[in-house]
Amino acid sequence: MTEINGLKDSAAIAGIGATEFSKSSGRSEMRLACEAVQAAIADAGLQPSQIDGMVTFSADTNPEIEIARNLGIGELSFFSRIHHGGGAACGTIQQAVLAVNSGVADYVVCYRAFNERSGRRFGTGVQDRPPSPTAEMAHFSWYSPFGLLTPAQWVAMFARRYMHEYGATSEDFGAIAVADRKHAATNPSAWFYEQPITLEDHQSSRWIVEPLHLLDCCQESDGAQAMVVTTPERARDLAQPTVIVNNAAQGAGVDQDMMTSYYRPSITGLPEMGLIARQLWNTTGLGPDDIQTAVIYDHFTPLALPQLEEFGFCARGEAKDFIKDGAIEIGGRLPINTHGGQLGEAYIHGMNGIAEGVRQVRGTSVNQVPGVEHALVTAGTMVPTSALVLGVDR
Amino acid sequence: MTTTTPTTEDEKAAFLAKLKAYEGRTYGPPMRGPDPVNQAMIRHWVEAIGDENPVYVDPDAAARSVHGGIVAPPVSLQAWVMRGFRPAASATSDVQDEIMSLLNGAGFTSVVATNCEQEYFKELHVGTHLSTTTTVESISEEKATGLGVGHFLTTLVRYTDEHDDLVATMRFRILKFKPGTGRSATQAKTDAEPATRPPRPRPAVTQDNAFFFEGAQQHKLLIQRCSSCGRLRHPPGPACPSCRSYDWDTVEASGKATVYSFVVNHYPQVPSFDYPLAVGLFELEEGTRLVANFVGVEPDAIEVGMPVQVEFVEHDAELTLPAFRPVQVTA
Amino acid sequence: MTFNATGLRYDDVDVGDELPPLDLPLTRSLIVATAIASRDYQDVHHDPGLAQERGSKDIFMNILSTNGFVGRFVTDWAGPDAVLKKVSIRLGAPNYPGDTMRMTGSVTKKADGLVEVAVRGANGLGDHVSGTVTLELPRD
Repeated sequence: MTEINGLKDSAAIAGIGATEFSKSSGRSEMRLACEAVQAAIADAGLQPSQIDGMVTFSADTNPEIEIARNLGIGELSFFSRIHHGGGAACGTIQQAVLAVNSGVADYVVCYRAFNERSGRRFGTGVQDRPPSPTAEMAHFSWYSPFGLLTPAQWVAMFARRYMHEYGATSEDFGAIAVADRKHAATNPSAWFYEQPITLEDHQSSRWIVEPLHLLDCCQESDGAQAMVVTTPERARDLAQPTVIVNNAAQGAGVDQDMMTSYYRPSITGLPEMGLIARQLWNTTGLGPDDIQTAVIYDHFTPLALPQLEEFGFCARGEAKDFIKDGAIEIGGRLPINTHGGQLGEAYIHGMNGIAEGVRQVRGTSVNQVPGVEHALVTAGTMVPTSALVLGVDR
Repeated sequence: MTTTTPTTEDEKAAFLAKLKAYEGRTYGPPMRGPDPVNQAMIRHWVEAIGDENPVYVDPDAAARSVHGGIVAPPVSLQAWVMRGFRPAASATSDVQDEIMSLLNGAGFTSVVATNCEQEYFKELHVGTHLSTTTTVESISEEKATGLGVGHFLTTLVRYTDEHDDLVATMRFRILKFKPGTGRSATQAKTDAEPATRPPRPRPAVTQDNAFFFEGAQQHKLLIQRCSSCGRLRHPPGPACPSCRSYDWDTVEASGKATVYSFVVNHYPQVPSFDYPLAVGLFELEEGTRLVANFVGVEPDAIEVGMPVQVEFVEHDAELTLPAFRPVQVTA
Repeated sequence: MTFNATGLRYDDVDVGDELPPLDLPLTRSLIVATAIASRDYQDVHHDPGLAQERGSKDIFMNILSTNGFVGRFVTDWAGPDAVLKKVSIRLGAPNYPGDTMRMTGSVTKKADGLVEVAVRGANGLGDHVSGTVTLELPRD
């Protein structure tokens, strides 16, 4: 691939909308999806009938046609879904960018809605998935019979090796959790609003899967998040300050597995994220020094570290030093997850992180970083994934 | 067994209504214990329990006491109506069976006794012949408990004697829960009849990976090898990433490996496994890696880089899997 | 601890009194013998292989025996003239062979000739049993 493309600054996020984030929404996933989509359309200052494209995750249970029917959206000329769980988040935006640039749609809504806490929880494991002879199910054959069943367990295998090779410690992972919870504590939308933690809290929380403590793992959440994507020209006529998508990118690495890329020569990096970083930096002409704040995917703390390395904020193995002394908290070199992240705000499969990136560029975050020109947002780790850079309109 | 778990609020309400219909129902006609309270069985009981209270076995001491004669320990109440070693087919009740199959069918397959409350109104004198009547007192709505999501079933057993006088009551509460849904499953195997342990999750067997599991069945650790260029690969697949050949065979690994990484699972606890459960990523001396369990080592003693040797664990008739045991390194 | 042959009278007892602790070594023989003596022939109480198949790490004590030890623990302290009126227990961690259950208790209530004792039996895994026993003691 060229790692250069014509999509630089070619789209904007014109509206964001979400439901409340909770542990029991008391409503159907379909209703959550409708509420978030409707809120995003209203935030943009559009009418539902103006929406002509929709994108979601293949993991989502809410068909775009159902939402279109319920909200009176009407005709859709573009619809698409992205696979690979939380890796899809920024990929949905990339689909929308492609669509509005090629002209197949003018206003595209990207959404994700689930009752991931009160309904089917990922954290309970995959032991009941039927052993049907498809490639996706055969993948689990190398893990489930041995009791390696949950995302936390798959991630922990990687974390242990990372600690072994780079001397990172559980306290280093804890620094991510402490920063996220500090930011969540001042975000009224966050599940852990007004509940900051200390490193001691992190260290004394129970084991989920060694080397991960409970506070290394995001809580599971009910909720929905949606965004409206259009061209910058159209966005400038709408209700909100224009937030430019400097670019979005997807990546699957060499010898990529879904959550268990254990067979590469080294398993301490995230080559798929490295591929995305190359694309984003090469296409936008930006680099780590141009980023004032980032939303780093944090379903589990350990994988935040190699993401910082893959994007070049620090050298390989040195993220544990980069994040020290509050560098990733408000006031530090690179405040991350200013909404509280998935550890602190809610686990909405990375989509709520994109919304926070939008708020930082608009200047409306509850934990606003001063002088934001560009914000980086990443999606799921250890899966084929995606990321994007947002920027102010010049 | 096919299970249809109620998930929507409507389904849950309908399921609860079915359960609630059993409240107040009785487990069939009264059941009479096989023998009246007698000295021989009291003696067995107090000997086993180590209870030295003379009022249970010494007629003189018993006569001098407030009991006025030999009594059985009140806490032996249930023993007098136990079904015994070879219970008759009629020993179970339709109502009980129906409730259990309703709960099992909805996925609430595990059971644990949580509370037992006995109240005594008359003493168990020698000669007392007990009968019981069991009534379903309440079935709770779905509750999230430490063990898992489930329903509490509370029964009230009335113990009457040969004169139909009420001797005692026992309120007994069990939790029927879905295995693996608990907040803290550390006490999943508690004091009750544990549900039958489910087998380990099955591998999804395809034409590309069947050799591995068939090999394990014969205690062979097989690695897929490209017949064209000789490259070893795991997990296996239909084509060689190096030379694109679809031709492959297998080689048997020596079984010598090192620990490349490992985890120790604490939560969630799935009933097919024992916890804490160590799972390793092992690098074979042939160069490929695979995930498997450990044998012969406590989780605390595992280290990255530790040399290990493969063994095979027969989990059940259909599933044998490799596992790795640390080897002593002699200097 | 041995049985209190003299026995307690109602006036001997005060709220806050502690019962002499009882350490009960949970031998395999004890678990099997008490299960059989209570006519409980479920395999999980005597057959380690079948107990493991059913998801338990070993055989474990049945509930009737737990009640038996709770009763014994209280009457060991109270003596031959105590009459148990109510035993209410909550069940927790199983009693497996090789462990020890330490039983402790204290008087929590006293009224109208009735005494309430809070009882706890803890093993290496945690509380096996906790609850209350209400007994009647002679008043004169």
